[in-house]
Amino acid sequence: MSLGREDPIAGSDWSKAIAAIAANGDRSAFAALFGHFAPRIKAYMLRAGASPSSAEELAQEALLMVWRKAALFDPASTSPAGWIFTIARNLRIDALRRERRAGIGESCDAEFEIDDSPPPDAQVAAVFSEARVRAALTGLSPEQMRVVELSFFEDRPHAEIANVLGIPLGTVKSRLRLAMGRLRTLLGDLS
Amino acid sequence: MTIEHHPPDSMLAAYAGGSLDPGQHVAIATHLAACASCRRFARSMEQVGGAVLTAIEPSAMASDALSRIQGRLDEMTAGPASDLLVAAPAVPEGEIPGLPGFVRRFRFGPWQWVAPSVHVRRIVLPHESPTRVFLLRSGPGTEMLPHAHTGFELTCVLAGAFRQGDNRYAPGDFDLGDEHVDHRPIVDVERDCICLVAMQGELRLKGILGRIVQPFVHL
Repeated sequence: MSLGREDPIAGSDWSKAIAAIAANGDRSAFAALFGHFAPRIKAYMLRAGASPSSAEELAQEALLMVWRKAALFDPASTSPAGWIFTIARNLRIDALRRERRAGIGESCDAEFEIDDSPPPDAQVAAVFSEARVRAALTGLSPEQMRVVELSFFEDRPHAEIANVLGIPLGTVKSRLRLAMGRLRTLLGDLS
Repeated sequence: MTIEHHPPDSMLAAYAGGSLDPGQHVAIATHLAACASCRRFARSMEQVGGAVLTAIEPSAMASDALSRIQGRLDEMTAGPASDLLVAAPAVPEGEIPGLPGFVRRFRFGPWQWVAPSVHVRRIVLPHESPTRVFLLRSGPGTEMLPHAHTGFELTCVLAGAFRQGDNRYAPGDFDLGDEHVDHRPIVDVERDCICLVAMQGELRLKGILGRIVQPFVHL
């Protein structure tokens, strides 16, 4: 996987697609979004430990939530991929350890979002730009990015990461430490 | 308010990546409700999640997946966003400051006496979680019984303040306590201290008074 390459369909098109869904219930915009993101959300869920049928269902649920929340998407504070990732992430926490509940269960996704109005400061808003994040990620080595994914996105214990990558446990820990330090520097500090 | 104590970056990253359990997730979200700086970092890590999602090797959906979801959209009687159901908050903002909106909508147990000047209020998470969450309210000047943990304890201050060693924890501050730390927090004298606590494992109360009270304390 190469995180540096540009997506063939640029991020701004996905913003337009989401806006079209919000404004007009645009089904073909939704179909395009579905075609691109559903298989990727499914892959994310599989990596997070879902069964293939659960992963399929969760991807469906995520896109349904994208449809329902399209009007809430704010391009000033997040990117389409980041926003959609957050929706998928919330469903993962919700569903993979879930006890099914009727009714209110459907609103759970809204509950896990960072309750935040968009920052007025343009400099702060720039933090959320996909371009800036991509630039920051190029500051990480591929090895560092791999341990970040395995640890924070796939929730694998360090010993398992060491096993998967065929490296010593100490190396996993130090790579994570270095990666987090770099990310914090590249992304976290606006003062 | 200046927040001095934050969750470690690894925990913020895990929050953003979706690998915390529901109880831990609530504790971090409560800190984020107060802390703009950690919010920015967590948001940035969510963008990293977006980059991960964009670059991930896709896993093909079933051939009828699109038509099935289009069918579900057909069944929705109203347009996007208009059918989002949100329950009324169980706990209004004025009653307990600093709780994120979604936590207010969970079911809350009643305040229960635990020890002199100490009450807890269970928060019922809608999903199974190995980490349980409750509100802890301690009266002014309360010196908590010395205790240790068998697991970990995440504490987010909502109101009032307490001191632990050289550190003071005020609204928005976050404390990560594990089995290595021997806690003896002391509440400031000005007012009650209310915290949201997410805990795995058990408290082990120490000392003579601790041993007397232990059987009555089940958090």
